[in-house]
Amino acid sequence: MIWVSWRQHRGQAAACLALIAVLAVYAIIEGTSMRTAFGNDNLAPCLARSQGTGCETAVGAFMNEFSSEVNIAFWSVALIVPGLIGVLVGGSLIARELEFGTWRLAWSQTVPRARWLAAKLALVTGGLIVVGAAMTAVITWYRAPMDQLTGRLQHNIFDFEGLVPTAYILCAFGFAVLAGLLIRRSIPAMVAAFVPWLAIRLVIEFVFRSHFMTPLTVADLCGPGGPNGPGNCGMGIGFVPQATGRVGDLILSMNGNLITYQPASRFWPFQFIEAGIFVVLTAAALGTAVWLLRRRATWTA
Amino acid sequence: MTIDKGISKIPALRAEHLGRRYGKAWGLRDCTFDVPAGAVTALVGPNGAGKTTLLEMITGLLRPTEGQVLVFGETSRAETAAALARVGYVAQDHPLYRDFTVADMFRLGRAMNPGWDQQLAAGRMEALGIPLGRKVKRLSGGQRAQVSLSMALAKRAPLLVLDEPVASLDPVARTELMRDVTDVAAATNLTVLISSHVVAELERFCDWLIVLSRGRVQLAGPVGELLAAHRLLTVPRATPDGDLPEAAVHRSDENGRSLVVVRAGPDGPAPPRPGWQDGPVSFEQLVLAYLQRPAAQTTEDNPAPAARRPGPSTKEATR
Repeated sequence: MIWVSWRQHRGQAAACLALIAVLAVYAIIEGTSMRTAFGNDNLAPCLARSQGTGCETAVGAFMNEFSSEVNIAFWSVALIVPGLIGVLVGGSLIARELEFGTWRLAWSQTVPRARWLAAKLALVTGGLIVVGAAMTAVITWYRAPMDQLTGRLQHNIFDFEGLVPTAYILCAFGFAVLAGLLIRRSIPAMVAAFVPWLAIRLVIEFVFRSHFMTPLTVADLCGPGGPNGPGNCGMGIGFVPQATGRVGDLILSMNGNLITYQPASRFWPFQFIEAGIFVVLTAAALGTAVWLLRRRATWTA
Repeated sequence: MTIDKGISKIPALRAEHLGRRYGKAWGLRDCTFDVPAGAVTALVGPNGAGKTTLLEMITGLLRPTEGQVLVFGETSRAETAAALARVGYVAQDHPLYRDFTVADMFRLGRAMNPGWDQQLAAGRMEALGIPLGRKVKRLSGGQRAQVSLSMALAKRAPLLVLDEPVASLDPVARTELMRDVTDVAAATNLTVLISSHVVAELERFCDWLIVLSRGRVQLAGPVGELLAAHRLLTVPRATPDGDLPEAAVHRSDENGRSLVVVRAGPDGPAPPRPGWQDGPVSFEQLVLAYLQRPAAQTTEDNPAPAARRPGPSTKEATR
């Protein structure tokens, strides 16, 4: 079954490899100039010394040069691409066999159909994990200098790094496999999987993520009503909240002098929580697909 | 053409009150028959008669709604590799992966079948002049049929099931494929079940017959016995239905005369009346008679139904 799965999906594997290669070329070209600028501006020592206070101009210049590219180039792509990869690979996995009648061939060999599906899912899932990890590694390397200024908990940063991009791919894949089994046609299955995937993805990002763990609160000493007043605190850089003074802390709300925030150090716990949600969704979808394939008695009606 | 073979042994294939319902409609109902090991059986019926439904339940692709299929005494279910290993299946239209080469298809066969006989598969391709490196999508219909058949044969299953294997082939390829199947079957004591809606030529290759129509088995048994048990009466066109013997199966009217297929009694053919001619029935006449029998005559589980008069006549079908 390893060879069979490989033979049937090697075209998709090649396409994913090409995508990673394009991404890597872009990342190397852009990332190199970003690293050079970051070094030339002496931003690293400044951040280490004072979390950016005192080198606001250099930070501003650096962000002006690179942040728009990072955000615009990656935002749309990074939002949609994991879902596209997942549904393109998953939508055809069963539906293609049903569309072309090859299920009669595949399921009349000496491999029970549930085992046939389980073996294929295991191998393709493994492949997608490799693809997701490779893409994440490229993006993380590329963004490394920027991450030192912004932290990794912000929207459109958190979603490109760590574990979640791979989990997004797997979830879209799982939805599409199940949709392909139920709808029996590849393209409609891809659409039917992509829409709920995107909805869940955005709802988790914008509704649930900030509450994964109980936020911390801190009194804002530099706020308008604070004891220090706005005038006595340094300007700081945009991504360092004045209240906490640490790069990457994510401010959720300000209520008078009280600031609610998620500390930058929660990047990995949050990654595990969000990736865990998507992995559970994936497992549920794939498990249902195997169970349905085993249980359903007919494909001809 | 052996008639008695398998009587003392477990049947290669046994259907017991087999039925499959699609929604509210029964695609196949109360289907009961035995086929002995080594028989080459023709499953004949018009399109939509339930042939594919029956074959898919035999292969384990489709689960019966009621009844069961026994292949060499074991129930046929998709869940076990052992059940799948007993049946080689050539599905209708010979599904293959279009972007696979022939060698890829065989490698898939080897990967998915413990008993795979690569020599048999590759040897057949060489004999037929089909290059192993050619992609499936570049093969002709006949070549695809041969690749499908070779895969089913190389699985080395004791029962080979073919669903309309020749429907898409030209007459030459059709005859070649049928001869191939029967040659291999004879050489390896393979039990073969071939569905077809084309009646012509089947007699040359098959020694067992199942006639399926409207989701019911109309007739089943060894071809020789079935032919011996029926006669063809030629009677004047004007003969009313009521004058025909009770054993009449079907009447077809031609210019000036009617052909009536009747079951021969235990004492031989019924004595013809004046002006009637009595003769042996041909394979094709026998099959068509049972296919065209009106629905009302189909009884529950008796393939050779009790005494009933034939209903309204139908014209001889042209095929």
